[in-house]
Amino acid sequence: MRCLFMVVALLLGSACSASAAEVVVHFSDAQGHAVNDAVLMLTPDTGTTANPSAAPPATYIIDQRDETFIPYVQVLRPGDKVVFRNSDSTRHHVYSFAAIKTFEFVLRPGESSPALSMDQAGVAAVGCNIHDHMATYLFVSAVSAVAMSSHDGYARLDRLAPGRYTAHVWHPQLHPGRAEPIQSVIIAGDADTVQLSFTLSLLPDPRMFMDREHLDY
Amino acid sequence: MMRCAWWFCLLGSAVCPSLVFAQDVDLHAYIDGRLVAAPGETSWTKGGLGKTRFGDGGTDAQFGGAGLVGTAQLTPALLALGEIQFQTTDRPTVSVIEAYVRYRPVSLSRWRWSVQVGAFLPPISLENDAIGWTSPWTLTPSAINSWVGEELRVIGAEGRVEWRGDANTWELHSALFRRNDPAGDLLADRGWSLSDLTSGLGSRLREPDEAGSGSSPAHRYDPFQNIGSRIGWYANLDWRAAGLGRISLMRYDNRADPTAHTESGVFAWHTWFTSMGASTDTGPIRWIAQVMDGATVIEPVDGMQFKTRFRSAFLLAGWNRGNWRPALRIEHFSTHDGRSEAGIPQGEHGNAVTAALNWRPRDWLRLTAEVLRIDSVRMQRADVGLSPASMLTQVQLGIRLIY
Repeated sequence: MRCLFMVVALLLGSACSASAAEVVVHFSDAQGHAVNDAVLMLTPDTGTTANPSAAPPATYIIDQRDETFIPYVQVLRPGDKVVFRNSDSTRHHVYSFAAIKTFEFVLRPGESSPALSMDQAGVAAVGCNIHDHMATYLFVSAVSAVAMSSHDGYARLDRLAPGRYTAHVWHPQLHPGRAEPIQSVIIAGDADTVQLSFTLSLLPDPRMFMDREHLDY
Repeated sequence: MMRCAWWFCLLGSAVCPSLVFAQDVDLHAYIDGRLVAAPGETSWTKGGLGKTRFGDGGTDAQFGGAGLVGTAQLTPALLALGEIQFQTTDRPTVSVIEAYVRYRPVSLSRWRWSVQVGAFLPPISLENDAIGWTSPWTLTPSAINSWVGEELRVIGAEGRVEWRGDANTWELHSALFRRNDPAGDLLADRGWSLSDLTSGLGSRLREPDEAGSGSSPAHRYDPFQNIGSRIGWYANLDWRAAGLGRISLMRYDNRADPTAHTESGVFAWHTWFTSMGASTDTGPIRWIAQVMDGATVIEPVDGMQFKTRFRSAFLLAGWNRGNWRPALRIEHFSTHDGRSEAGIPQGEHGNAVTAALNWRPRDWLRLTAEVLRIDSVRMQRADVGLSPASMLTQVQLGIRLIY
């Protein structure tokens, strides 16, 4: 029912603005469950541009609560910054050995890291050296049309110009080494709403949430 | 008990001066109670040859055990952990299951190393990853991991190197240790058991009365002591791949001097084995398999060695259904004793099936119903007038409160 409302709302929104097209993508897993934290990128196949935005660099907070990074995936543009905040009552040792950025911060309870500029495109997996079950992913992309699916599995890109595109998908639980899920997208008119769906084959969630029975030291 | 106290002091001296500065001190605990319909045969924990933890028939309430786990993250790289348990099976005992300090500095490359010093369990079990070295799948661990909990403990230092790839992770553990010289005694004198009675520093293990100095008094020994001066080792290679599973391969050798013994007659059993484990998930089903093949030997008289080969394997299927978690395990075990009496080879062979249903209605509560059936043949039983073949069924209803 909620999905229906969203689709209707999207269609109404499109009709009202009528100034640009949009793409609505639904992500589900092999069992048909909605998939959140899937990153959708739309790249033009030819010289068509995808309404590039020149937004100034932003700063995002990656929180740590109940020994869990929040959010699980953060989409950034090159030049954006992240701040790691520790909202737990325990210490965390945030680090990454990603090719695009290596860093480490020891954060006491209530402490935040200095702003960290992410200048290169790519993915940085971030962990905690004290709590190995914690993980978050910084997805840095220079593609202008990028969005992430929410808990209902929907991701939306709007203000798109007519043309041929390719929809690319990334998710932290996609099988490494397998071909990236892609689909061709054709936007015929300014007011078009194109709907796509992706069924993703995902690995189990690598995070282990707090459980009294499993101490994980 | 003196040694137990000594370990408490050692842990305390390592931890207490730093507690003032430690920001991360955690305490976890559990207490376990059972209603047990026991098989008629006397349990090995009472000096009999029964392979289950409980015996002598009847249906009674039993104390499963209680434990306390304390951790202190002394620095971002330095963790101290101590785990004590209280048991009343055999006799009331407080013992230290594990007590160690781990140094694991952060690494900004795919490689990460760490070192762990103290007393800890070798990384063999793929079942026992829950509080108190218990299994989240069953109350009773497999024969392999029952023995690991009874007689194996690393009292020494382990180095670990990890390589963390995008698709898989490799870990190499290698340790040097002492004070595990009696390991193997139970497998030779009693054979395999299926029991969740994990021993610790301070525990005394009971041998079957018939194999000890006589039917009475009870013959007990400290499984974690030095007999001789040799240093043992193990190496373990572990491979994990997201979506595929995990494979673990270990070689263990306590290098005990088989001629050495204490004044009270506890021998150093030279024990070595190869252990392999694998686990994988197919949808909500977790599959766990382990295999162990090894031998233990003593030489009570010059040139006269008594060697016991031991083998076991199991396959467990556990179904993750949220709060409900059914599990089924089948296994085989055997020992082969080089000695033979009247031309009859000594040793044992048997099979076991364990079916369990776990329910976690609350994070702090676990309820388990378990049926364990063991079908085995052990020639030693004929020495005391028992049929070599035995079929035991143990039914347990367990309640575990977890803090």
